[in-house]
Amino acid sequence: MAEEYDLKTDELLSRKVRSKTKLGGQGTWQVEVGETGSNLTDSGEIKENSSNPVFMRKDTKTSFQWRVRNIPYPADTYKVTVEPLERSCIIRTTNKKYYKKFNVPDLDRCQLPLESSALSFSHANNTLIVCYKKPKEILALEQELMRELKKLKGTNEGDVDCKTQ
Amino acid sequence: MATTKVPEVRDLTRLERIGAHSHIRGLGLDDALEPRQGAKVGKLTLKTTEMETIYDLGNKMIESLTKEKVQAGDVITIDKATGKICKLGRSFTRARDYDAMGAQTQFVQCPEGELQKRKEVVHTVSLHEIDVLFIDEVHMLDIECFSYLNRALETDLSPVLIMATNRGITRIRGTRYESPHGIPIDMLDRLVIIATSPYTEKETRQILKIRCEEEDVELSEEAHTVLTRIGQETSLRYAIQLITCAGLVCRRRRGTEVQVEDIKRAYSLFLDEARNTQYMMEYQDSFLFNEASHSRALKRKPFHWSWVKL
Repeated sequence: MAEEYDLKTDELLSRKVRSKTKLGGQGTWQVEVGETGSNLTDSGEIKENSSNPVFMRKDTKTSFQWRVRNIPYPADTYKVTVEPLERSCIIRTTNKKYYKKFNVPDLDRCQLPLESSALSFSHANNTLIVCYKKPKEILALEQELMRELKKLKGTNEGDVDCKTQ
Repeated sequence: MATTKVPEVRDLTRLERIGAHSHIRGLGLDDALEPRQGAKVGKLTLKTTEMETIYDLGNKMIESLTKEKVQAGDVITIDKATGKICKLGRSFTRARDYDAMGAQTQFVQCPEGELQKRKEVVHTVSLHEIDVLFIDEVHMLDIECFSYLNRALETDLSPVLIMATNRGITRIRGTRYESPHGIPIDMLDRLVIIATSPYTEKETRQILKIRCEEEDVELSEEAHTVLTRIGQETSLRYAIQLITCAGLVCRRRRGTEVQVEDIKRAYSLFLDEARNTQYMMEYQDSFLFNEASHSRALKRKPFHWSWVKL
């Protein structure tokens, strides 16, 4: 697993997971958080048109957040539900244009239940934002992780100090 | 009568046609002013009961959709990795589109949920499929082969290597050094060695029984015991060879079941390795080039009938 944090805001920018294949080889990176890039297939023979909605996860400090960009339908079109048995959330549309089933790996890893009360959504600027409030267990875990991460030295980006003569 | 104009319908493939100007090639037209091949693009909308997605198609995908005669209202699957299209049937919702249907037209439910689904493919992988290199009589390889193998085993695509030999400590070919199994110890160090042990009486008995069934030879209980004993005292191979011989001896006397006597007869007709060695030792003077050393003298005692308790 690889994670990328913003050095200033401590926000999680991306998280990728790579697991072993059945035969022990290295699998491909699965993007959990952050930009997924284009969903081109290898051959490029069939690919999603750019007019389709794009799904990605982008967390904030207090909640897990998913964004569906490029989705123009009004707010009352959407219905977001929790399926506790399948351990997943589902976004439905009344006009049957968009449907997405996704799970919350963070909660799966900690074996925490999914609560429908924690889930909310809003729609603005062609983007549907689905929020799931982080439970206190997750918040405690992330704080602890942050303390550990603070011990690490970040790489220096941007302008390097140039010694003047 | 008024004629109705039927516009040419081309779904899936949208061909751009631009008027005949001077820069024909640049406009995507060939010399005959037909759209140039290879410049085809298409759009395809796939739907489930829950959602729909528009896809951009390349030339090959358009061709295979045309070849499969995929129409609007068909239920299809497309394998993302290979691009292989599979027609599952027509959607029930389109059942009343036409009155006449082909006999083989199958109606299926429109798929539910997400468009892209992960399909679990159960594939039992045998060792053979993940590339196993089996080298029998591995002591026959020389030192250069072993150094090649040493290096080859370190590459990413190296197969599983299995070696077999029946040699103990012997000379590595191409050198003057001796090593277990004739394999250099640095190579040996990279291997795990499967330990083997001689067959027990029960196992020998079972193997011979299976072999008898295979050869359609029926053994009496006593004959089976004797043959098992022979198998243990001489070799399993020799005992197996005796089955056919004893079977023939039995058939010759019009018997239906092989008795101890038949085994005895077969045993007297054909020598096993130990008896042969003893025979050689006794009569070596009568053979040509009789310089046989005595180092390989009788490792095994010849089989004696008195050992068999009946």
